Amino acid sequence: MNYFQLFGLEAEFTLDLAELSATYQALQKTVHPDRFAHSSAQQQLLAVQKSAEINDAFQTLKQPISRGEYLLKLRNTDLPAEQETLGDVGFLMEQMELREMLADIEHASDVDAELFAAQETIDVQSQHLWQQLEEKLLVADQANNLSAGELLRKLKFYLKLQVELDRIEDSLFD
Amino acid sequence: MAYSEKVIDHYENPRNVGSFDKNDPSIATGMVGAPACGDVMKLQLKIDENGIIEDAKFKTYGCGSAIASSSLVTEWVKGKSIDEASEIKNTAIAEELALPPVKIHCSILAEDAIKAAIEDYKAKN
Repeated sequence: MNYFQLFGLEAEFTLDLAELSATYQALQKTVHPDRFAHSSAQQQLLAVQKSAEINDAFQTLKQPISRGEYLLKLRNTDLPAEQETLGDVGFLMEQMELREMLADIEHASDVDAELFAAQETIDVQSQHLWQQLEEKLLVADQANNLSAGELLRKLKFYLKLQVELDRIEDSLFD
Repeated sequence: MAYSEKVIDHYENPRNVGSFDKNDPSIATGMVGAPACGDVMKLQLKIDENGIIEDAKFKTYGCGSAIASSSLVTEWVKGKSIDEASEIKNTAIAEELALPPVKIHCSILAEDAIKAAIEDYKAKN
């Protein structure tokens, strides 16, 4: 049984997070240790294992990047190893500029305005990639799966930008 | 996780930080990125008419190991021919900096940056 099936879902990228969360709570209740207090050691062990599996499934499906990667794995798409370097020069130039923009924020005269503008830039650009990803994942052929994999790799850079921006914001308002 | 002394040295005193004009025909630019951690690295080589690397500069947004790896390769490539530089292996970088297994990808990034720069040079000339 795959993670989507475990949660009674179709293997699709788009899902309702509130519903996912509610299903998670309901599933965890069915394997809660209290229910197995008088069961055999083996049944208790099975319940613990099931609980761990439900947890893994929830963590994987909750985050859109891991959900996308999991979906591609189910479709037997060979994705580049995480360690494999990304070489899209145009994309990397943009990333470099975005990192420079973030690095300049603390020296800006109007820090608030720069933080706001940076957040907006990251949101707009990443939203554009998420949208493409959703479209690519709707069609489960090899070409679309491979482009979806590439988009997921790029989205990880935006995740990093967000972490960086949050860190800068924290450091400025500490 | 503890960084080695060499990583800390390169991190605190990075060699050859900066940029050359990427449109200059004698400048080779290598851009690479590591999705695993969102690191972005730019390595630029100034190559003379005999194919010898005269100078190198880098700009890296990433962790200490990524910065140290790129700083180290700017030192290593200077004076080498492009063929010699293309033989620099990530394992040598990782060994020199005593990188732990989880940071090996930083040395891979630096090796790939050299390769990307040399490819850029060959495409230009």
